[in-house]
Formats: sequence, C-alpha cells, structure tokens
Amino acid sequence: MNIPKMAWRNLWRRKRRTYITVFTIGFGVLLSVTFTGMAHDSYTKMINTSAIMGLGHVTVEPRGYNETPSLDKKLSDAEGIRDKILKMDGVVDAVTRIMGQAMIASANKSVGGVFIGIDPARETKKRNLFIQTIVEGELFKDPAGRGALVGKRLAEKLNLRINKKFIYTTTDANGEIVSELARVKGIFKTGVNEVDGSMVLLPIDRVRKTLNYGPREATMVSVVIDDQRYAEKEREMIREVVGNPQREVLSWKETQPELAGIITIDKSGNYIIQLLVGMLIAAGILNTLLMSVMERTREFGVMMAVGMSPSTLFRLVIIESLWLAILGLLVGIIITTPWYAYLLNKGIDFSGVIGDDYSASGVIIDPLMKIRLYRENAEAILAGVFTLTLISGIYPAWRAGRIPPVESLKTL
Amino acid sequence: MSKEEIVRLKQVSKLYQQGKMEVRAVDQLSFSINEGDFATLCGPSGSGKTTVLNLIGGLDFPTEGNVYLEKKDLSELSRAEISMVRRDRIGFVFQAYNLIPVMTAYENAEFVLNLQGVPNRERYDLVMSILRQVGLEGLENRKPDEMSGGQQQRVAIARAIVTKPAIILADEPTANVDSATADSLLDLMANLNKELGMTFLFSTHDQRVMDRARRIIYLHDGKIDSDEVRD
Repeated sequence: MNIPKMAWRNLWRRKRRTYITVFTIGFGVLLSVTFTGMAHDSYTKMINTSAIMGLGHVTVEPRGYNETPSLDKKLSDAEGIRDKILKMDGVVDAVTRIMGQAMIASANKSVGGVFIGIDPARETKKRNLFIQTIVEGELFKDPAGRGALVGKRLAEKLNLRINKKFIYTTTDANGEIVSELARVKGIFKTGVNEVDGSMVLLPIDRVRKTLNYGPREATMVSVVIDDQRYAEKEREMIREVVGNPQREVLSWKETQPELAGIITIDKSGNYIIQLLVGMLIAAGILNTLLMSVMERTREFGVMMAVGMSPSTLFRLVIIESLWLAILGLLVGIIITTPWYAYLLNKGIDFSGVIGDDYSASGVIIDPLMKIRLYRENAEAILAGVFTLTLISGIYPAWRAGRIPPVESLKTL
Repeated sequence: MSKEEIVRLKQVSKLYQQGKMEVRAVDQLSFSINEGDFATLCGPSGSGKTTVLNLIGGLDFPTEGNVYLEKKDLSELSRAEISMVRRDRIGFVFQAYNLIPVMTAYENAEFVLNLQGVPNRERYDLVMSILRQVGLEGLENRKPDEMSGGQQQRVAIARAIVTKPAIILADEPTANVDSATADSLLDLMANLNKELGMTFLFSTHDQRVMDRARRIIYLHDGKIDSDEVRD
C-alpha cells in the first residue's frame, strides 16, 4: 500500500472527527468567500458609483487642478483627448466635463454649490448617476441651452421647482466674475445629502460660453473603464497616449482619496477578521492532527521499528493533512456554491438598517449587499485554506517523526 | 562448517534514569548470535531481555559498549541508516502483534517490501508465497480486527520474514495467545529456522519457547547468568 492510500485510510479511522474537521475547513471557505465577496461587491459598487458621479475611474485634467481646482486651469483640446481615449482597450466611455464652484441663487435665497457642465447627447443613464436618479422632470437636451438638473435638497433650499429659474455666479477662464441664468428641467436625488444639496448639472456649451472657454476646451475628460480593478493600469496606458507636462492622468484613488481610504481601512479590517477566523480553523485542524498522531504513537513506533524512516512518517502525516485540505476544500465548494448563488442573485437588503441616507463620507453605499468574487480572490481563498491546513499538519508530522521508536513501543 | 556471526554485543551496558535513580538494565554484556541460531533470552522481569532486543534492533543505543549487526557497529550509523538496517536486515515480531489496523493481512505483510520499493508484481508473488507459508492463504484481505490473535501473529511473522532479514527478533511472541496457538506459532518459526535457515532470537518467559530453543541465554540483573547450547 502506498503512502497516500495509507494516509487516506488513516483519515477514516475516526470518521466523526474527520467529518468535523472537513466541515470546519469547508465552513472556513464559506466564511472567507462571504467576507471577501461581499466586501469586493461593496467596493466595486462604491467605486463604480463614484465614477459615474463625475470623475470617472480615470480622469485627465490640467496639471494642478486636482490639488487646487479652478476654472482658469483647462484642457485646451479636451475633445481631441476624448477621441483618442475612446479608441483604447478597456475604455467603455469618455466624456468631457467642466466642473467648478458657483454661487447659486434663486429669487429668495443663494447657496454655494458645485456645477458640472455636461453634453446631454453624450451622457447616458448608465454612466451618469444624476440622470439615473432623476425624480422629477428630465435631462435638458440642448448643450447650448439654459436647462439645468439640480439636486433635490438644493432645490428645496432654493425653493426651486421644474421650469423655475436660478442664477449661477462663478469666475471665468480669466478670473473675472461671471453670471448666467438657468432653468430647472429636472431634479435628481442620489441619496447622498452633500451631493443632493449642492450639485447642479448644466449644458456644457452654455458653460463654455459663460466661462469664455473655446469649443474644444474643458476642465477634464472623465473615463469609465470596464473593470475598476485595472484603473491604475488603464491610467498608465492613457498617460502614454495623451500625457504631457501640462496634463495629469489620475486614477480614482488620486481624485477620490477619501473613498480609497475607506476601502483600505475596510480591507485591513477584513483581513484581520479573516486572519482570526483562519487561526481558529487552523487551531482546530492542528488539534485534530495532533490528537490523531498522539493516539498512534505506538503504531508509529512499530512502523519505524520495521524500517519506516522518520521522513516517510513525516510525509505520511503531511499527506493526511493534504487529504483533509482537499476534502475540506471540496466540502467548502459544495456548501459555498448555493450560498454564493443566493447572495449573487438575491443578496441581503440592509435598507431597513441603513435608513434613507445611503452614504458614508459622501460615498454611496448600496443597501442591497450582494457578492462578487473575482477569480484571483477565489484562487487566493482556496490556496490560503489549503496552505493553512498543510501548515497545521507540519507540527504533528514533525512530532510523529521525532518520537523515538523504543519510547513509542512502550505506550499502550 | 563455521557459521557467520550475525550479531555481536561487546561489553554492552544500558543505563536508564528512573527519577533520581540510575538503573543499569544491561551490564557489561557480551555474546554473539550466529546465522541459523534459534536462541532465546530468558530471565525474570527486569532482567534486561527486551532492552537487549531493542539494542540489537537499533531501537535503542547502548550507554557503553558496541552492538554489531553483520559486523556493522550500529552506534556509528545515522538515523536514516539505522532505519534502512531495520528495514532490510531485521525482522520484528512483537508480543501485541502490532499490525497496522487500517491494512489487510496482505498489506501488512507487504508493508516493508513497499518501503524497500520492491516492484508490484514481485511484491505480490513474495507476499502471497509467505502468506501461504505461514498458513494464511485465503485470509489476505482480512483486516487485523477480523482475525484471531494467532492469525494476527502469523501476519506479524510474515511481515518479519518477507524481506529475508539477517535476524528475526521476537519479543514474547506467544504471550498473548492460547497454548495451542502458541505451539503452532512455534512450529511455524521452528520450521522457518530449520528449512530456510532463518535466525531467531526470542525474549520470553514461556517454557514452551525455551523447550524448543537450541540456545538459551539466561539473564539476571542485566548480566548473563548462563548460556546453554543444546543439540
């Protein structure tokens, strides 16, 4: 009988103990997949939602604009940059935008706010959160018109309704104070109070005219890519194509450091939890293997007496833990699959707990928690659990090989 | 014709620490076992019989003196080399059979051949012929818990002799079986000695074993009291 076969049979000497260990490993896989998958789904949604709030996954903007945004910093050929980027692999959309601060005043009140000049013909519901969340009216159609889309809270503050007028005042490309009139065509509600209370979308050509921008000028080109995980890689590719000393190409991590910070902290917490769960599971496996080694001390003594080398004995116990790892992973996959499918398709709705404001630090959080496990995460979990199980077997295996045969034979 | 020396103990002592006391289990012992011997170590409990077997089997090492197996000084071998000597040149038969419970009779008997890396076909032929020899034909697929004590000890003997070792060390091999079984086991081992020239060294209290032995080394307090060779 070869060593793997012997190791396999040894596992089934105490069936109940093996079942418990295998299910412990399987449960570890389930926990790890759940923690990782839900966290990644949440991160992906946060990043993608944040991307369609204006800046994209990757942004091309004038150098220095990110640190001190002002309207005198502009891209001279934003449209040309956009055209080049749209042809690149991994890019699903790119739009030119003018973003700045303004005083927004209605007949009875004025508040500070942020405007984004957009081209309505190029914007889609899928790639623009404000259009996606229109609760009243519609998006303006004329890029040179005076239509506007305003946040619900801002509309309430200024007592604005559909077709009501307001005036926005800002500084133009030359630093001069300029004002323009706009008429509310639609009202949106993203769920983020800060955004809904300050944001206005305006037609880009009208904004260009107001700010004394040329027809191809804008403050940024926002790029949406097909997979947020590759934002840094895409940034480098875009940098190669359109980068120059006057322009910066930034990923969402640089344009939205708060979001990047939240995700980093959350990931760290998640890693710690997973590490603790992993250690608990490893302790269980270690206990099982150690018990199984200790109760076979005499048998190991006999094996060594008849000529099995300590290294072969070490291998035997390691292969036992290898079998446990394989079985544990199989059970893990079997019990995790339906749970994963449920979370993927239905998810868990936390809206009752979170309330109306689905945001943290201005970042939208989807109250419907679903799961998203990338291939590399799945591979890392399986490899992690497998390695942990094998590592747990090292000490018992070492112990088995170290017991002097003459001592082993004395035990009952 | 002089027979080849298989085992030689030269001024061997073994000291154990028992609490604060030092116990001399074997004291300046010297003797040799030759090829084809059917010898037994006897003596009261604590006389050092099992310790001597353990020293010859390389399971333990002397505090003083040297143990030679086929002229090799065991104390000069590494752990791996000792394992190989045990695997290739020594057969063990224990009082409590000590078969591996998850293996069948066939698998237990082939265990050492497996460690030696003997090819499958050759292994099969060897094991089946040995099982026939020890009277276990037809029981090769039984696991230890499906066999009687006598049958288990026969498997243990098969495991010990299958590699044709230089010596078979049998520690109280008849202690756990009834008289009829003990007699049949002794017949088996005597036949193996007579027909195949296998060398046996027993450690025993059992008068039946002593009656069959051609050499009786009587130990007392770790020393040889008498060494009687019979025809």
